[in-house]
Amino acid sequence: MSDAARGTEEPDHAMAVAVDDLGIVRLTWARGLRITEQLASDAMTLVDRVNEDRERPLLVDMTGTATLTRPARVTFTRKCSASMIALLGRSPVDRVIANFALGVSPVPVPTRFFTSEPAAVAWLCHGDADT
Amino acid sequence: MATRTPESGGDDRLGQLVELVVELASGDRGARMTPSPASDEIDAVVVGINMLAEELQALDADLEARVTERTLQLEQAQLQLERLALYDPLTGLANRTLLADRIDRAMTRAERGAAPPAVLLLDLDGFKAVNDSFGHAVGDLLLVEVARRLRAVVRDTDTVARLGGDEFALVVLDATDEQVLEMAERIRVALLAPAQLGDQVCWVGASIGVCFAVRGQQADALLRDADTAMYAAKTSARGAVQIYETAMHTAALSRLLLADQLRAAIAGNQLRVHYQSIVDLQEGRTCGVEALVRWQHPTRGLLLPGEFIGVAEDTGMITALDRWVLDTALSQLASWRATVLGDTEFTMHLNVSPIELRSPRFTGDVLGSLAHHGIRPADLVLEVTETQMTGDDAQTLHALDTLRRAGIAVAIDDFGTGYSSIGYVRQKFLDAVKIDRSLITGLDTDPQQQRVAAAILAIVDAFGLDAVAEGVETAAQAEELRRLGCRFGQGYYWCAPLSAGPMTMHLAAATRTMRWSPS
Repeated sequence: MSDAARGTEEPDHAMAVAVDDLGIVRLTWARGLRITEQLASDAMTLVDRVNEDRERPLLVDMTGTATLTRPARVTFTRKCSASMIALLGRSPVDRVIANFALGVSPVPVPTRFFTSEPAAVAWLCHGDADT
Repeated sequence: MATRTPESGGDDRLGQLVELVVELASGDRGARMTPSPASDEIDAVVVGINMLAEELQALDADLEARVTERTLQLEQAQLQLERLALYDPLTGLANRTLLADRIDRAMTRAERGAAPPAVLLLDLDGFKAVNDSFGHAVGDLLLVEVARRLRAVVRDTDTVARLGGDEFALVVLDATDEQVLEMAERIRVALLAPAQLGDQVCWVGASIGVCFAVRGQQADALLRDADTAMYAAKTSARGAVQIYETAMHTAALSRLLLADQLRAAIAGNQLRVHYQSIVDLQEGRTCGVEALVRWQHPTRGLLLPGEFIGVAEDTGMITALDRWVLDTALSQLASWRATVLGDTEFTMHLNVSPIELRSPRFTGDVLGSLAHHGIRPADLVLEVTETQMTGDDAQTLHALDTLRRAGIAVAIDDFGTGYSSIGYVRQKFLDAVKIDRSLITGLDTDPQQQRVAAAILAIVDAFGLDAVAEGVETAAQAEELRRLGCRFGQGYYWCAPLSAGPMTMHLAAATRTMRWSPS
């Protein structure tokens, strides 16, 4: 199987985590990435480290992700320090991947897919009432 | 596994997608298609199918792993069932079923030219005493130890089985007769060594029957013949090795026949009790009788105990037989008390099997029968043969103690014929000894026999026990015994064993004269 088929796995540049002014933790995946179990686990560890002992909303920018492996999806079903999760994508491919993440295994906190960043941020800040 | 990459020229992604679906449908769960950089709806479908295929592949793998795990569990369960069905759970040895199978296989090999196998059957000597004395837990440890020793002696190709209780069997393949007998001897010696079982040290031996198979023989016949040889080994001398001979089978068959007939005899009123008087040598009066069982066989005439007691013991009929004799003799004593004896000091001597002494119901039955017939316990003496007495197992000692506390006396029969005579008189469970006739014969003519008798009587006296001399046939023997201080005598000199009627007349005459005058 070619890398092109599966995406790349470069843990050093695979993800970035930061906290914005609204207190939302932003996890941004590298484009064209194949998210494996290890990468999923590393991302959750990083988010937990940033949150320390707090729970905060998480915005995951998965735009352009090549694929999400099954073990990685299972890893995302573990509870971490995210209080709710917004998955952000643009293309129909992103939507399909996100819905596999949401639909195949039950997620531990409220999780939704958005194609609009403001809508995602609004949902994370105010919940369903404002989306 | 194939991976489709969008072609550079033109857009044939839908065509490739169709091919992907066909490959997946044909069973290639690893088939994938790389989405194009466009990330449009077609790519979304590609990614979706890729991910569904991965899901399907994972589910397949899960299912396969589960099937593998269940198959393993089933195999283990089957092995466990097989183990339960074919192996003895206590010792881990083969059981009777597996042994029969191994014999069958060996016989099949023999039909094709291999040497027929040999079967060794062994039974522990003294196992019951270990069980009775130290309990079943120690008995079980002993069986495990015996199994270990047997395994250590045999070769890998041989089979060791436990048939049940303290009975073991071995199938020996491809060995000469000499090698088989050497193995039997090694087993015999290996089992003689003391076994340390927890805090207890136990000694047992084994009687071993050996049967060399002949082609065409069935497994059950082979086992039966080995069992017959083992039985012959046990009855000849404990700890012996005996090879099966055809005559043994004939003898075994006649014992079976005798057992059947004895069963009918007990139910069919063919048993008789004869009585032989016991005389007080110092006072010269008849002071008791020994009850002796006889079998009025319909074709063979009157049989003595030696011809059927062994069979009765082996088949468990001894219990019914002993109870019948006890009841008949006590009923007779009650009748004599009411007619010819009155309150005269008089005892009824009864022989009791050591097997019975170990039976938990025995003492209760004896005391119950005494009460039923209104006989004082002091009027009863129970005689136990010295050579059959183990005497050191807990059940026997408890029975003897209970009986003696109730007032019943206990005597050792055939004293002087065993190896432990002195040992027994030192025990605290005896009141009297009956000196064997072999020590009385020649007493009136042989000075050495006189010295032996004098020494034995002195020993018996030293331990404060009464002596009854058996087999007294002449006046001179009676006089010599009286001179040596022997208290009681029994034998043809005074009276042959008589049935109840003649003995009643004998006792009536004896009570009239009251005294026997030494000549």
